[in-house]
Amino acid sequence: MTDAVRTHGLFKRYGQQIAVAEVDLVVPAGSFAGLVGPNGAGKTTTLSMITGLLRPDGGTAEVDGLHVWRDQVEVKARIGVLPEGLRLFERLSGRELLLYNGRLRGIPKAEVEQRAGELLAVMDLTAAADKLVIDYSTGMRKKIGLAAALLHNPSVLFLDEPFEGVDPVSANTLTEVLRRFTASGSTVIFSSHVMDLVERLCDWVSVMSAGQIVAQGPLADVRGGRSLNQAFLELVGGSPQDGETGLTWLGAKPRA
Amino acid sequence: MNTVTLFARLKLRLLAGNLRGDLQRKLGFIFTLVAATGLAAVGFFLMSLLRFAPPDVASELAVLAFSVFLFGWMTVPLLVFGLDDTLDPAKLALFPLRTGRLAVGMFTASVTGVWPAAMLIVTFGALVGLASSAGGWLLGVPAVLVQFALCVVASRLITTSLSSALRTRRGRDVLAVAALLVVVLTQLPNLVLNSGFGDPAALLHRMTDVLRWTPPGMLAHAIADGGPAGLAEIVFVALLVAVLAWLWIKALNRALVTPDVSTQAASVRRERGLADRFLPDGPLAAVVTKELKYIRREPRSRVGWFSAAVVTLVLAFSMRNLGVGAGLPILLTSAGALMIALQSGNAFGIDGRSLWMNAVAFGSERGLIIDLAGRHLANAMIAVPLLTVVGVAAGLLTGSPGSILPAVLAGWGALGIGLGVGSVTSVVLPYTVPERMNAFTGAAPGQGGVAAASSLGATAGIALLILPFVVPLLFGLYWVCVAAPFYGLLVETLGRRLAAKIGFPRTPELLMAISKPT
Repeated sequence: MTDAVRTHGLFKRYGQQIAVAEVDLVVPAGSFAGLVGPNGAGKTTTLSMITGLLRPDGGTAEVDGLHVWRDQVEVKARIGVLPEGLRLFERLSGRELLLYNGRLRGIPKAEVEQRAGELLAVMDLTAAADKLVIDYSTGMRKKIGLAAALLHNPSVLFLDEPFEGVDPVSANTLTEVLRRFTASGSTVIFSSHVMDLVERLCDWVSVMSAGQIVAQGPLADVRGGRSLNQAFLELVGGSPQDGETGLTWLGAKPRA
Repeated sequence: MNTVTLFARLKLRLLAGNLRGDLQRKLGFIFTLVAATGLAAVGFFLMSLLRFAPPDVASELAVLAFSVFLFGWMTVPLLVFGLDDTLDPAKLALFPLRTGRLAVGMFTASVTGVWPAAMLIVTFGALVGLASSAGGWLLGVPAVLVQFALCVVASRLITTSLSSALRTRRGRDVLAVAALLVVVLTQLPNLVLNSGFGDPAALLHRMTDVLRWTPPGMLAHAIADGGPAGLAEIVFVALLVAVLAWLWIKALNRALVTPDVSTQAASVRRERGLADRFLPDGPLAAVVTKELKYIRREPRSRVGWFSAAVVTLVLAFSMRNLGVGAGLPILLTSAGALMIALQSGNAFGIDGRSLWMNAVAFGSERGLIIDLAGRHLANAMIAVPLLTVVGVAAGLLTGSPGSILPAVLAGWGALGIGLGVGSVTSVVLPYTVPERMNAFTGAAPGQGGVAAASSLGATAGIALLILPFVVPLLFGLYWVCVAAPFYGLLVETLGRRLAAKIGFPRTPELLMAISKPT
């Protein structure tokens, strides 16, 4: 079985700062994979480079065995992307956004309309379908973004912080859709800080820290009997003691 | 004093930070620096030349210049790309700063920069040009400084009081009208000059008779006067500046605490789509449909279209007296076409960060070609009928119906040339168009130079490509216009293909350039 995603020595620097240092990310096909790491670990940069939105300074990335920067036509047809920040075409309504996205990829209009209708229904967005995206809440934007990413039936889905700022109800909808998607043999890779969520959803985990992969494998192996949160803190070297030194002024009542 | 140095350093740090690690921005900044230095030197020189003019003419010219400076400070930041890199007061709202201190800081930040320094030098040129007595020299320095303060405070007052309105979505729609008024106002002198006042000296005299009593006019007069009257004038304007500053602080106060109340969402009509009626189903139809919606719904596109229309209209009135006769409709229609096409000089700017959606869908150059074609087609669907109307109306109003056909054909041709050149500048010199037109900037901070280079490049490219038609037209050979639409189509096609060839491999860089923080 080929891996859904395999990078080799992926490298990116911004000026003096090295954002991603020789990352070898591996995600087997059909897995529900979590990419975890502290802020600034290079998760977004890595995902952007694999999806062709950011040019790497070195190394290669493959999706389904295809070279991301050489076989762009095939790769782009196979991947669905939900980037960070989630800027969408704000002046289109949710339905128009899905129609535009699908037709841009050459899917016939009638087919797109049917898929868009079903996706809107599943995402519980039917009532808001004809409102402009600019007026959507964060949760709605994540959902319409996910719908747009799923519209052309990709085989690998890249999601950057899909659950950030999303209310529990919308988060539940998102996870249900994603579970169904992976059950059909497709691959999901998402980045997150929320260890509980990763532990609950994923069967494969890659841990990034300071631009490098520090652990990678099936969830049980990475966890090694601990909770994922515990394992994560040990891997990325978070301070075990709770900051007793310094900060003595914090919480002290000012004397009158 | 502390506040002053702090904010001056903050502004310089921001300017420097914007330049870090991006060659294009550095070049843009160097371009700005050279332009500003040139302006300062030439302006100072010209102003000091007033010394050799007869005293009354010199004084009148200085009155006019000072008034124009003030008007420029009030309007140029609203119109021209990237000259106004000032701080957004909202970013400082949460710091425990008294509004007075904040105002001092914001004032410092607005005078710290390349263009303000250049303008200060030019204004000092008036001192050299006008001061004739010891009193003139003595009063001149405060007069120049007060003039500079007047310009800065008036400019800040306008942008701040409008910025609070512009935070709301509805406010941004009002901007469409506001920007139009400014466009009309800038054309006013043009109109006055062209409506045949005859003798320029008499015209100058009549204009300065009025302008002399405006605040900038009083300051210019004070330098020339150099006596007690001059002193009184300076004191009066200084008080006026203080009042304006107080108003500005009030406006700042309001801007900082007024919330955005624009989230009441309305549904849009579901429509079948005009483009689908005549285009085959596919990506092209999708792009055209989206673009037509954007032209209608996006305030920034609306402003562009409306101002193109208004400028054309104003041009029509001001060219009426130029004596071009039968050539006027041709000139006018082509100018209108270029105004419309110039909007596409940064075609991806309005999409901004959302362009990733296109980037992940396009696997080859073909995608970009279709995207540009769709944008051009949507543009032409509005521009072609509009230009036809302009050509017919101009032909009928000038009483030369014979020139209607060449005018309309020339307009279509010019549109094609503009779109072709614009697609190349869109990929070579892309820049971010700010989402919130808060301070009316046309580009993200630090990208002003890129924006200016882009529009200069587009203008130069268009001028070069239009030459084969200008020359025969100058000799009255109107029949060449028959070839114009075909030539325009050719340029559009070649430009689009060239743009895709350059642009597709640069997709990541293009995305970066148009999604800078604003």
